[in-house]
Amino acid sequence: MVGLSLGEKNFIKGGIAQDIRTDGRKRLTYRPIFVETGVIPQASGSARVKMGATDVIASVKGRGGEELSVELSTALQRCLLGGKSGAGAGIDLSSLSIVEGKVCWDIYIDGLVVSSDGNLLDALGAAVKAALSNTAIPKVEVTANASSEEQPEVDVSDEEFLQFDTTGVPVIITLTKVGSHYIVDATPEEESQMSSAVSISVNSQGRICGLTKRGGAGLDPSIILDMISVAKHVSDQLFNKLDSEIAAAEACDDE
Amino acid sequence: MRGMQLSLNKTQKLRLERALEQLESLSSKSNSDASVTIADNISVNCEDAILKGHGTTELDGHVVATLCGVVERVNKLVYVRALRARYKPEIGDIIVGRVIEVAPKRWRLEINFSQDAVLMLSSMNLPDGIQRRRTAIDELNMRSIFEENDVICAEVRGFQHDGCLHLQARSQKYGKLERGQLLTITPYLVKKRKQHFHYLEQYGIDLILGCNGYVWVGEHVEVKDPMLVEDQLNKSEQPIADSENSMSSADEVDTCTPLETRQNICRTANAIRVLSTLGFVVTVEVILAVVNLSMSLSLDIHEMLGPEFYVLVAEKEAERRSSLGKKR
Repeated sequence: MVGLSLGEKNFIKGGIAQDIRTDGRKRLTYRPIFVETGVIPQASGSARVKMGATDVIASVKGRGGEELSVELSTALQRCLLGGKSGAGAGIDLSSLSIVEGKVCWDIYIDGLVVSSDGNLLDALGAAVKAALSNTAIPKVEVTANASSEEQPEVDVSDEEFLQFDTTGVPVIITLTKVGSHYIVDATPEEESQMSSAVSISVNSQGRICGLTKRGGAGLDPSIILDMISVAKHVSDQLFNKLDSEIAAAEACDDE
Repeated sequence: MRGMQLSLNKTQKLRLERALEQLESLSSKSNSDASVTIADNISVNCEDAILKGHGTTELDGHVVATLCGVVERVNKLVYVRALRARYKPEIGDIIVGRVIEVAPKRWRLEINFSQDAVLMLSSMNLPDGIQRRRTAIDELNMRSIFEENDVICAEVRGFQHDGCLHLQARSQKYGKLERGQLLTITPYLVKKRKQHFHYLEQYGIDLILGCNGYVWVGEHVEVKDPMLVEDQLNKSEQPIADSENSMSSADEVDTCTPLETRQNICRTANAIRVLSTLGFVVTVEVILAVVNLSMSLSLDIHEMLGPEFYVLVAEKEAERRSSLGKKR
């Protein structure tokens, strides 16, 4: 990232204080989001999300995978899977079981950052949501007369698929604090001016699924509560936008 | 369209393609057979003694192009000029650059070129304005003039024998640029003109089109005589500052850009972004036309980066060029 001169830094901070960022957006406006599904044919589901020049691809596979970078993956894990006991998880894991207590699908979600122009977590969260909605889990036939100790025989169908239910999947909103104001969808120049950033994952019922804080500055607890309420407010618009974009992308895909 | 991150619906795509086709048909009337790709034969009269310039080579008795571009002929010299080339500096070019290093007796600037440019301490006016020999103390105080990551406007003075680029900033209009934003566009979209500094009066903003593809859009700064600076400093509410006087920058941190000027700056910056993504040559007239278009449609500033506005700008530009062509 190129450095910024003092004059430019003041311009950015002044802009955020006056609610006009360098490209004219308001503090709580996202850049245009562009969703494309089905970009990786070999995966069970995949999606590519572009926010400005940030470009990320997420793929969902029923097996195997590669490593994510640690910070992004722990943040995503916390936001999507909820606590250790699985309570409040975004994804309904019970839909993945094939035989109760014995065999189930393992979902591996991989994210790839093609180009970064700020706000990676939000883009990755949107890509994961789009990829999951694009995921088709093959239907499995279980032979009925297996005894309870043996491994049951399963027949994985190649034609019939079950769509994943993604209404519970949360979306990640990163609020970057610059000066005394918060902005969503920060560009790299704005991120370099931040004092701290809080990423909150909110689901469609307006409930918080996960929370992560980055940045060196300490935050007063009342500010965090304020940021959470702002995130909930922004999440409504983002959900509508994402759902319409995903539906449009799926419609394009089917053609 | 390189770098188009937009989702255009079908009608928008059609309109955009139609506008671009119209523009292409208007432009290629003059020298359509001059554009060549690699290994195309360049038509030369075999009897003339032709000098083969850059981008050409001799193959089987024919002069063949080695670049994709346009054939230029100057007297006996035939060469191919590439279209999307890196910035090619010439003496007298106005440049906007960023300081990346403060070295002994010079500043090194990054200017979107294959090498870094050098601004010597002796090519820069001293803050007190007196013309004198630079002493060791001046050298130690270089950081008070320009620091790392500062944005500077300067002029190309010349090349050294090793290809290094030298700049000079001896006039009042050159110097540090503050209170604004720097945009990067492809260098070939900024053509060499007489004027690169523009003061848009109705918006109160300064626009500097650097030939290297760096464009500065910022608040208007009055170019003042250093002698009068003392009186100006006393009136600390005024955001106007001498372009070379960096002492008052500490006061300026608190004085914010007025809201309307900031809106105009963002609108102009977005207009330049739209033009650069569409690949149109960036001049003041075109920028003003785009800004007026956005104001007449009373678009929100960030909506200028949406798909509908791109298509409108392309159509408007096609109209403008066709009307220009008809006047001739």
